[in-house]
Amino acid sequence: MSLATALFLAFFGVAAIWFGVVVFRTHSMVRSAIALLFSQTAIGAMFLVMQAEFLGVLQIMMMATEMSVMAIFMVMFMMDPGGMGKMDMTHQKRLSLWAGGIGLVAALVVIWTAGWQGPAPDVPGADEQARLLGREILGRSMFIFESAALMILTAMIAATMVAIAPQEEDTQ
Amino acid sequence: MIPELMIALSVGAALFGVGLYGALSQTNLVMIIMGVELILAAALLNLVAFWRYLHPDVTAAKMFVLIVMAVMAVEMAVGFGIAIARFRSRGSVEMEEARELKG
Repeated sequence: MSLATALFLAFFGVAAIWFGVVVFRTHSMVRSAIALLFSQTAIGAMFLVMQAEFLGVLQIMMMATEMSVMAIFMVMFMMDPGGMGKMDMTHQKRLSLWAGGIGLVAALVVIWTAGWQGPAPDVPGADEQARLLGREILGRSMFIFESAALMILTAMIAATMVAIAPQEEDTQ
Repeated sequence: MIPELMIALSVGAALFGVGLYGALSQTNLVMIIMGVELILAAALLNLVAFWRYLHPDVTAAKMFVLIVMAVMAVEMAVGFGIAIARFRSRGSVEMEEARELKG
C-alpha cells in the first residue's frame, strides 16, 4: 500500500463528498452548480491518483463544461438563482434522508464485509493504457462505442425537438 | 484488504447517499438532475476503483466508464430539453406543480 496514494484518495474523496453536500445545502443555485463542479473535479483528481490519467482529464474537462452550462440554466429557470430570498425548495425531507442514509449504510456494509483480496496489481503506464483503450474501442467494443455515439445523436435530436418552441401551424 | 480500494468505494457510497437524498428531496428539475449526476459520479468512481485495484488488465472496464459518461451527458441534455419545454408552457420547472403528469 502506498501511503501517499491513500492520503490523496482520502483528501480528494472528502472534498468530493463535502462539495456534494454543499450542492443541496446552499440557497444560491449558482453556488450549487459551482459546488457540483468542484465535487466532480475532485472525483477526476481521484481518477488521476488511481493512475487512470485519460479518464481523469476527461472527467475534469467534461464536467467543467457541463456544470458551466448547468449554471446558465440555473440563472435562466430559477425564481431566485442568487438565493437572496432563502426559499426552501425541498419536499419529503425525512423520506429522502432515510433513503440516502439506508443506501449509504447498505453500500458501506457490502464494501467493508466483501473481503477484497490484495495486493493491488501494477498498472501499465499512461501511454500503454491509451493504446490498449484505443484497441478496445476500435476492436472488441466497437459496436458498443458506435451505439453510444448513436445514443448521443438521438438525445441531441430529441432534446432539440422538445425544446423548440411550437410553430403556429403545429398548434392549429 | 486493499485500503485504497476501500477508501474509493466508501467515497462512492457517500456520494451515492448524498445524490439519492438530493434527487428525492429537491422540488426543482435542475436540482434533481444534479442529484442524479452525483449518483452517476459515484458509479464512475466505483468502476475506476474496481478497474485499478482488482482488474487493471481488463480494458473493457474503461469502456464502461466512457459509456456512463455518455449517459451523464445524454441525461443532462434531455433533462434540460424537458426543462425548457416545461418552462415555456408553465413558466416554472418546479416538480411540485407537475402533478398533472400523473396518470
